[in-house]
Amino acid sequence: MTQSDVLVAEPKPEPEAAAPVRRHRRPLAALPYVIIGIYLLTAFFGPMLVDYDPVATSVKGRLLPPGSETATGTAWLGTDGVGRDVLAQVVYGARTSFIIGIAVVFLSGLIGVALGAIAGYFGRLPDMAVSRTIDVLMAFPGILLAIVISGLLERGMHVVIIALSVGGWVGFARLSRSITMSTRERDWVDAARIMGVSKPATLTRHIAPFLAGSVIALATIELASAVLSEAALSFLGLGLPPDVVSWGQSIANGRDYLATAWWITVFPGLALTILVICIGLVGDKLTRRYTRTRD
Amino acid sequence: MDIRTRRPLAAAAVSISLLMVTAACSWSDTPAVGAGGGGTLNVAGPIPIENLDPHGAASMDGGTQLAARAIFSPLVTATGPGKFKGDLATKWAPNEDATKWTFTLREGVKYSDGTPVTAQEVVASFERVLAAKGPLAGNFGGYSVDAPDKKTVVFTSKTPDAAFLGKITSFFVTPEKAEKKGFFQKPVGSGPYKVSSFEPGQALKLKPNADYWDGKPDLNNVVFKSIPEVSARMTALKTGEVDVTWGMPDDQIAQLKSDTNLSVDAVPSPGVNTMWMNSGTPALKKADVRRALWQAVDFKSIVESLYPETGSLADSVVSPVVLGYAKQQPVKYDPAAAKAALKKAGFDFGTKLRFQYSQPQFRQFVEAVASDLKKAGVKVDPVEKEQAVFLEDLLAMKWDINIQQIGSQGFDAATNLGRLYPCAAKRTGYCNKELDKDLAAAGASTDVAERKKLYAKATKTIWDDAVGMYPMFVEQPYSWRKTVKGLKLAPDGMPTFADVKVSE
Repeated sequence: MTQSDVLVAEPKPEPEAAAPVRRHRRPLAALPYVIIGIYLLTAFFGPMLVDYDPVATSVKGRLLPPGSETATGTAWLGTDGVGRDVLAQVVYGARTSFIIGIAVVFLSGLIGVALGAIAGYFGRLPDMAVSRTIDVLMAFPGILLAIVISGLLERGMHVVIIALSVGGWVGFARLSRSITMSTRERDWVDAARIMGVSKPATLTRHIAPFLAGSVIALATIELASAVLSEAALSFLGLGLPPDVVSWGQSIANGRDYLATAWWITVFPGLALTILVICIGLVGDKLTRRYTRTRD
Repeated sequence: MDIRTRRPLAAAAVSISLLMVTAACSWSDTPAVGAGGGGTLNVAGPIPIENLDPHGAASMDGGTQLAARAIFSPLVTATGPGKFKGDLATKWAPNEDATKWTFTLREGVKYSDGTPVTAQEVVASFERVLAAKGPLAGNFGGYSVDAPDKKTVVFTSKTPDAAFLGKITSFFVTPEKAEKKGFFQKPVGSGPYKVSSFEPGQALKLKPNADYWDGKPDLNNVVFKSIPEVSARMTALKTGEVDVTWGMPDDQIAQLKSDTNLSVDAVPSPGVNTMWMNSGTPALKKADVRRALWQAVDFKSIVESLYPETGSLADSVVSPVVLGYAKQQPVKYDPAAAKAALKKAGFDFGTKLRFQYSQPQFRQFVEAVASDLKKAGVKVDPVEKEQAVFLEDLLAMKWDINIQQIGSQGFDAATNLGRLYPCAAKRTGYCNKELDKDLAAAGASTDVAERKKLYAKATKTIWDDAVGMYPMFVEQPYSWRKTVKGLKLAPDGMPTFADVKVSE
């Protein structure tokens, strides 16, 4: 047991050593992290500070431009077609996006890594089964599958999470499978096998830790695409029930007012764009770091 | 490894292209304008055309009726309350107690395939309506039809029916082969236009019928496009992709008025925004509950804010342009009283009421109503359905509250009150023997004053028992490009295009 611990711990310091050097060179590189931090804080604490009921409308104060006074205070980002506050929609939408995004990434990561590692390590039949399933799922665009699933089931947050995870785990599975296949041939895995370590233990202790870096890098990118897909589904009126606030829904609500009340669409749209870009930047950086050090 | 870095981009591209496809799939290529012809008229109404069968389950659907007016011929058309013009029929007369209506058919009317229209086909079409048991058949309970000779048709009713002319305006004659499967994919009719192609819910392309009895229409092509997205429809109108539209939301009207290429006008319509409450569901069985729900919604504010141009607070079940209109005492907004009344009536505040609607134009209205009901502690689940699903569920009573705009065909309350509210119609879940009797008597009388009195009584019963909420009278707004000449604004939102010309 102690021997295997040493084996696992040994290669770990390597990837982290390269990081500080690059961070010093570009001070702006921290910006995406800061922005994502702000989003996370907003999503977590915002709903405690801003009061909003998606069902409550006030038609008398509809389509007010940003900064207008309403019956309940100042609408800093204006009001929508039935008088609901756009700022509150952006804040509550951030929470919805994060809940769904993180849940999708967690669920599809869990399934994907498990299946991918098993396929890569055991080969033969398990590999065949997983690989062919991946091939089948890859034949459909992920969003199409999500549309079909969320169209068939009752609306709800869990339905959106399931719908997006069905296509989401494929990426994790392919990644884990290929890394597992190459790690399986390394000396310490042979050593563990010769020493009589059981197969599940070898997989979890001697192979799985090497997946961590790449999987985290992929997870950030998947997070961005999950957030985007959720918005696309809500835009189409699928998945989320009307009483759950979502950026996609807010954007869809403002479609008819693009020429007269741009703020309904623009602010949730900006919030979505900036978040997805920042997550993408972070994801790219992580990918670069882990792919470079591993080979 | 490459695939990982490309994924967000790919996902973005997929979602964006998907959004574009969903937005654009309603457009189709416009046929080229033939040299020296009358041009192409592109029409995009608010209701998609899902079905061309004017006899079956979709017979009273706005889209089907709109298409039917272009493709098929009715016996008569309504021109105002109690006023009619002959179409397939040239003469018509009831017998003394209005149980027999005799129509004389126009000579020499042909279908677009050249075969003549015969009295036998009018009979067959009418029997087809009755057999289909669709919404239109509800107008003609207890009717039988006969053709004593080639150009005479006699409709016989068990009970006197003075409003028959108003009802028969939604009845269209189809050839005998309509029975064949697939006929309504590309039907043949005797209307001003014939079908060149039809994709349900997408596009209906028409060509002029050279054999039309009233002269071949001037236009070379009429294309009905379905653009469900309001903003897309407005953009299409501004760019000239669409020449005529109507039923646009008030928020868009101001903008259209500022465009010098467009004309905008509105006509009072027989339409009333009607929100039936399903008396068949246990939660809404009691009239006290339904009245309290009505009282809990501030319709005055909603109508004034959402429909400043085309809406006015309703004070009856049918609109003032309809024969049988009777003013009622408006229901006053009082949330506190409503809540107390609900408690007193033993309303279960745990039930979630399914509030169904089909057209996006109702979305904000529905949201505002749901908001007001929530303030009274009533949970409402607004569900937007596709038109076809909506219709199916509507007839199957799979709803608790339903909103739609209901007109009165032929400007006669018989086609609204008389068709929808008797127990046998099974449309609202409401059943009242007394009301049945009044409606039957009103439908049977030939005396206009007597009919008005009976409809006033029936309206009062419906209003007081709150079979539905009746929030708003509707004006029908139209907007068309200035190149379009001769457009007649139909009050019921189903214009005909036989006399329209397009100048290039």
